[in-house]
Amino acid sequence: MIEGAWLWITLVLIGSTTILTRGSFIIPGERAKLPPVAQRVLRYAPAAALAALVAPDILLDAGDFDPFNPKMAAALAVIAATAHWRNPWLPFFIGMAVLLVLRKGMGW
Amino acid sequence: MNDSFRRGAKEGFGALFPLSLGLIPWAMVTGVAMRSTGLSVVESMGMNLLVFAGTAQLGTLPLIGSGAPLWLIVLTALVLNLRFVIFSAALAPAFVGQPLRRRLLTGYLLVDGVFAVLSERLLKATDPHWRWGCFIAPAAWCWVLWQVFAFVGVIGADALPSDWSLEFMATIALLVMLVPMAASRPMLVAALVGGIATVMLRGMPLKLGLVAGIALGIAAGFVAERWQDDRRRA
Repeated sequence: MIEGAWLWITLVLIGSTTILTRGSFIIPGERAKLPPVAQRVLRYAPAAALAALVAPDILLDAGDFDPFNPKMAAALAVIAATAHWRNPWLPFFIGMAVLLVLRKGMGW
Repeated sequence: MNDSFRRGAKEGFGALFPLSLGLIPWAMVTGVAMRSTGLSVVESMGMNLLVFAGTAQLGTLPLIGSGAPLWLIVLTALVLNLRFVIFSAALAPAFVGQPLRRRLLTGYLLVDGVFAVLSERLLKATDPHWRWGCFIAPAAWCWVLWQVFAFVGVIGADALPSDWSLEFMATIALLVMLVPMAASRPMLVAALVGGIATVMLRGMPLKLGLVAGIALGIAAGFVAERWQDDRRRA
């Protein structure tokens, strides 16, 4: 865990990426255009990054590749719930319920 | 505050209000996730005010928690926020001629929902007062909702049991954002390659595997899109 002054520096820098990206074309206040190829490439950044952050958490167990673990089961339930229902709370309830039942209830 | 500002504000607020309520669970979950990562109440709200971007907040929390190098955390936040460059470029014509402080404020407040719902209205309008009202009223409302309900999560996290693996809420939130994105084939390819490559490259020094995995995912999505286009043309 990053703590103290370093944490605040980290938070300021993370925050600066918000302003830099959201303001990239608006703050200069000119009619600049983003090249079409850049637009197409940038579209894939969030999906690739989200998956890259999620995958290690659900595919690894204590650092080793093991797709059969409680987090994976919970993730599959979350994906199913998100795909089938529009209720924004449901994936959180279902995901946490699956994880807790498997871990606490069944000791997996 | 002239009349056309007020009419724009009413139009923008009315259009965004129903969708904005969807921010409530996100904000609360983000609040809980910040606390269960180990941030204090003040640090959590500091992050919420400074970053004001759910994806970047939830995505960097595991890295902050594991003490990852600073450059990796910032780079990850940047990648998660890259979509805003597209939004910013698309909306820039609507803000040409506005004073700098308004453009700076826009650079802080431009969240996904505001772009998705209001960009067409903002670009079509010709009256700068109407435009500014149509942007700032709903954008400020989203900011208030996000701060208030994140605070509810931050405070409420103490009432939740500490051995419930609540940090997994961040992973759930990232998945919930990912599922609708992966609806198109190239996007799904980008996600699968990005995820699997990151896991396979986890042995790389300095956590470079995450950066390499994301880059491979982006490249794979782009290539898949080209293939799809070629097939359609053929």
